[in-house]
Parts: sequence; C-alpha cells; structure tokens
Amino acid sequence: MKLKSLLIAMGLATSVTLAGTASAEIKVGFIGSLSSDTGLSTLRGAEIAIEELNAKGGVLGQQIELVKADTAEDPTEGVKAYEYLAESEEVDFIISGSIDDVSLGWMPRMQEFQIPTLDTWTSYIGIIDMVVEDYDSMKPYFMNIASDEALATLYIDFGKDVLAEKMGWKSVIILQEDTAFGGAINGLVTDALAPNAGIEVVDTIVYDVATNDFAPLFSRATDSGADFIYLISSVNSQVVSSQYVKLQVPMGMTGVNVAALGQEFWEDTGGAAGGISTLSPVPSVGFKLDPVSQAFVDTYQAKYKSRPVMPHFNGFNAYHGLKQAMAAAEEAGEFNNTTWVTAMEKQDLTLKMDEEMWLRYGFWGNDEVEERTGRTYPHNVRFDITAPYDDASPSMVVIQWYEDGTNAVVYPEKYATGEFTVPSWVKKK
Amino acid sequence: MTGIRWYHLALWIAFVAIMFVMPQLVSKGTLRIIIMANFLAIFAISWDVLSGRTGYISFGHPFLIGIGAYTSAILTKRFDVPLEVAMPIAVLMTMIGGIIVFLPALRIKGSYFALVTLAFMELIYQLVQVIRPDLTGGTRGMSGIKTITRGAVSNYYLSASLLIAIAFSMWLLMKTQLGIALSAIGMNEESVRGSGLSTTKLKLFAFLTSAFVAGIGGAFYVHYLGSIAPRALFDINFLFTIIVAALIGGASTIIGPIIGAFFLTFLLEFLRPYLPGAERYFIYGMVALLLYMYQPKGLIALMHTGWNKLTGAR
Repeated sequence: MKLKSLLIAMGLATSVTLAGTASAEIKVGFIGSLSSDTGLSTLRGAEIAIEELNAKGGVLGQQIELVKADTAEDPTEGVKAYEYLAESEEVDFIISGSIDDVSLGWMPRMQEFQIPTLDTWTSYIGIIDMVVEDYDSMKPYFMNIASDEALATLYIDFGKDVLAEKMGWKSVIILQEDTAFGGAINGLVTDALAPNAGIEVVDTIVYDVATNDFAPLFSRATDSGADFIYLISSVNSQVVSSQYVKLQVPMGMTGVNVAALGQEFWEDTGGAAGGISTLSPVPSVGFKLDPVSQAFVDTYQAKYKSRPVMPHFNGFNAYHGLKQAMAAAEEAGEFNNTTWVTAMEKQDLTLKMDEEMWLRYGFWGNDEVEERTGRTYPHNVRFDITAPYDDASPSMVVIQWYEDGTNAVVYPEKYATGEFTVPSWVKKK
Repeated sequence: MTGIRWYHLALWIAFVAIMFVMPQLVSKGTLRIIIMANFLAIFAISWDVLSGRTGYISFGHPFLIGIGAYTSAILTKRFDVPLEVAMPIAVLMTMIGGIIVFLPALRIKGSYFALVTLAFMELIYQLVQVIRPDLTGGTRGMSGIKTITRGAVSNYYLSASLLIAIAFSMWLLMKTQLGIALSAIGMNEESVRGSGLSTTKLKLFAFLTSAFVAGIGGAFYVHYLGSIAPRALFDINFLFTIIVAALIGGASTIIGPIIGAFFLTFLLEFLRPYLPGAERYFIYGMVALLLYMYQPKGLIALMHTGWNKLTGAR
C-alpha cells in the first residue's frame, strides 16, 4: 500500500513538474553552488542580466525564466543537476558557475544533450583541449574566463618584471598547502616562474590544510634566508594570511591566495590582511571598472545585501556572457548546436575606459593561433598576454591588500591602481 | 534453499513488471532519478551483504566501488581496452580489494574495524590524486569516459536490469544455508565458530561477494556518468548515503536497501524545485534521522506493520 502511495505521489509530482515546463518561456538553467561566493556571483550576474533583458521584452519575443540547480560543489551532484535542467526542466541554455571537477563531471551530459552552455568560473585548459579534439560534440560549450595556461603565462611576466627586477628578489621559499592544486602551482613556480625570472627556489614547505598554527612554518621560512615567501593556498587562506600579518613575518609574501579574491577578505581576516597579494582573473577586487561593468556593480549592490557584497570575476562573466548568449539566440532564431554556436562564436563585446579597450568578451577563432603560447583556444574567451594589452583583456592581474584595508591592482601596469609593496614591518631590499 | 514462498516469487515478478513498464509511466527526468536510485540500491545491497549480515560495519565501501570504477575508467580511457574486457578486470580488481579489506577482519572487529576501513577510503583518496595523475586525472578526475549506452530510457533499462539481477541473486543466496550462516555471524560469531563452521571462510565469502557487487556497480556507474573524480567517489557523504540507504530501508534484507535508496534519492530530487539550495539536505537529514529513530528496522518494517494492519494479520 505504501509503495502504491509512493508511486502515485511520484506520478503526481512528475505531472506537476511537467506542467511547469509547458509555458512559452525561454528557460535559462543555472548550475553551480548556491552556498558559495563563487556560485552566488554567477547566479546573481545571470539574474541581473535576465531582469534587464526581460525589461526590454526578453529574447525571441518571450520572457526569460531562470531555473536553479545546486551542485553543492560535488561532481556527482553536478551530473544530477545537469540532468535535472536538461530533462526535467528542458532548459534552452545553461550558465555555469561550477568549479573544475564539477564541470568535468557534467561535461558528458552537455555532450549528450547538446544544450548551449557557458562556463564562467572554471578555467581548466583541459576542457578547451576537449573542444580542440572533439569539436562536434563540444561545440555548444563556451568558457568566458581565460584558461589557466594563459593565466600562468602572464603570471611569469609578473615574476620577472616585479618580483625580480623591481623588488630585487633572487630567492624564494614556497609555502604550499598539501593539495593537488598546491602541487600543480608549485610545479609551475619551480619549472617556469623561477627559471624565467632568475629566482632560485631554496626550499618548499608543505603544510596540511587543517594547520592552524603557522608560527613554526614562518620561522623556518625566515631561517631559510630566502628573499620572499611564495604562498599557495586555496583552502582556508584566511588563516595563513592573518597569521602572517599578526606575527609580522619579516619577509615579503605573494602567491596564489584564493580567499583574497573576495571583497570580504579584510573582514574574514579580522583586518589582518595588509600586504597580502595574489593573482586573480579579471575583473578583480581593486580593478578599475568601465562604465557598463560599474553600472552592473551598482545594480548588484543595490539588489543584494548578503555576501559576496561585490561580485567575483565570474559574476561579471555571467552578466555579460548571458546577454551575449541571448543576443546569439536572437541572431540564430533559436537555441541549438548549429546556428546558435556560429552566432555565439561571433559575439564580441568591447568595453572601453577613456576611449581605450579595457575589457573584451569575445572568443578565439577556432583555428586562430595565439602567438605567445603557439596554440589555439576555440570557444575560450579572447585574452591578451602581451603588453600593451590592446587586443583584449589581460588573462590575469595581480592584486594587493594594503594595511589600511584598501586593495588595488598592482600588475600589469596598464591596469594598475596601486603599487606592489611589502608591509611596513618588512625591510625593503 | 529455505523459506521461499509463492508470494515471494509473485512480488519479484511484480517488481520486474513495474520496472519494465516504468518508462511508459514517467518522464525522462524521472527516469534519470531512478537510474541514480538503481545504482545507490546496488551499492547499498553490496554494503549490506558485508555489514548488514556479518555485523562488520564497513566505512570504506567507496574504496571498493572506487577500485571498480577507476580500473574500468583507466583501462578504457587511457589504454583503449574494450568495455567487455575492462569491466570484468575491474570486478576482479575490486575482489582483490575485498581481500585487502578482509585482512583486518581476521584480528579486529567493531569500531576498530570500521575505523580501519575508513582509513582505506582515505588512503585511496590521497593515492589517486598523487600517484600517476596522468592515469587517474589527479584531483580533477577524468571526463569523457566511454559510456555503454546513451539516453534516459536505454540507461534506465540497463541499470534496472543490473539491479534486478544483483538483487535477485543476492536474495537467492541469502536463502541458502550459506546466507543464513552469514547472518548468524552478525548475531553471534562465537556460536557459529562453536558449531564447527569456519567463520574465517564465511567472512571471506561475504567480503568477496560484497566486493563483487561493488565492483560491478562501480564499473557500470562510471560508464553511466562518463566522468569520475576522487572528491565525488571517496567522499564521506557518498559513504553515508550508502549506509543510510541500507539502514533506513532495512538492513539484513535485500528489498530494504532498494527501498531506502529510492526513498532517499527521490526525496532529494523532488525537493529540488522547491528548495534548490542546501536546505533540502537539511530536510533530507532530518527525515532520515526521524525515520530511523521511529523505526530502526527501517521502512521495510514499517511496510510490514502497515500491511499486517491492513490485512488484519498479527
């Protein structure tokens, strides 16, 4: 009897779900975490874009409805979420704020359902490689953040121009969290950054992500005689950052510090973040915004009072990218894996600042070779990794938090709003 | 075989018939949910064969499922081994993994055994990320793994057939004297040993059977998903979902883990449109907790009680 009731309930619930899909609206699916700053940035960027489009009549003569599918940052939940959007909600377009392994998890479903999909957060070059290798099944997929390979290439320039030449640093000690991410970045620093910038890696300290007392590790770093610390931290970066400040470690520290990407970093560290710097995709905190992106931020801050108070880079990507996807649908007449793809490939939005190219949302041509890396980046956002960055946005910037709680972009020079410096307690070389 | 009645077979036939006509009754979206429920049911049955029967509570079941999934994924993706060859090898490797899990059971039991098995899961989680990431895909895992079939309906029939075959085989096995002896170990291992039976051999059999099912389930699962990531597979949430499905449905039964798996999967998915965020996991946890507190023997016991009340039986 219970089983029968359960089946009836299942049937009724399914009917309700199917009835919901029958309306004549364009459905946009959001896939990502609903409880992280990252996921919320993409979601809110998409929400604002949809509100603005709906106010102007929607797309293809229809209003746009947003459907949310939470991944809880879990790859299997990501597969379920994509299936839900594709087969229960039958969405026309999917916008993603997924992290690397979650996107990789649902990618076979994207290939199966062929739903136009835009990723705004993951920058994994392996996904662009999939587009290169299997264009036919991957063509509805677009990524509007510069791939990690491009990001790394520009970061090496920062090492040469700033760490080595300006600061005069010749040796580094790496302070790396014990994660695969930490290992991968360590490899990059050791194999590429250090040799290209003429910086010697004197030692590596690997720490557990649960570490809450960094004093012994900072002592070891100081004793090593290195000129600066290269921190690689994606988990609980607030802890190591605030202890660096509170202990007034007498050497500079830069690197990859994921928590420092958010405007809440100062608050999260209890105000102990002065001097911390990190690379960041664009636009970042401290980034001077063009009028269109600034208007988006103004709307965002008027609408949302909870964190993240400032959208992360992927919020901007979602806002501009979703509008481009809808414009492509208007041009193609529908969402599909043929004409929509061609129309999306042609989308090109240049945002100017003082009549100068500032941010660009366009895509690499399928056979177009980027000169410096010597490879193609089909369906990846167009980026520029060669000064003076007049073709597209740089693939990354370096940002720094100062002791008064402000932050600024410190590299590359064209986008700099402040100078790279060491905290007041560190003696300059 | 003992205790098989005509109505048992009738219920099995009804179950098969319902599963067979399901694609005609529900949407493709619902079929996708059932596919996930089918796989969870297979994993829960596999856990129950080992832990529900013998009382050796394993916290390392994803270790076994992961061996099956990763072996088949690596063989097919990295070495172009055909599916029909890779999957049996994956099952064999999982059974070897089952023997590894069995070894501690020769000396320890209870919470100590549970902790050791948990360590196995943690160990393989770390290993797949750092040992040969060129093969395992490291922390990001692998995508684009060969799938057996495409589409909701064909994948549904594949997973449902697998579930039915495994569930029916395990049910028959548990009706044999061997199956009864396994359950007896869970009740009192000393008595079983005292009656002259080799508990070591019996436990080894249970571990190998459990690993066999986990290996088959893991291999088919990864070729359904088309992707694999260490964070998804060797995760405490995945482990708990398997255990809760078995317990909430009714441990030491075959139909119990199936009911538990379907109940949990549908509960989460039907809450999705109304509570898209983390709130649905809270409801999910609360419902599971309350149900388990109200009836520790699981939903199967509740259904028995309901049936008896309805038919007036005592």
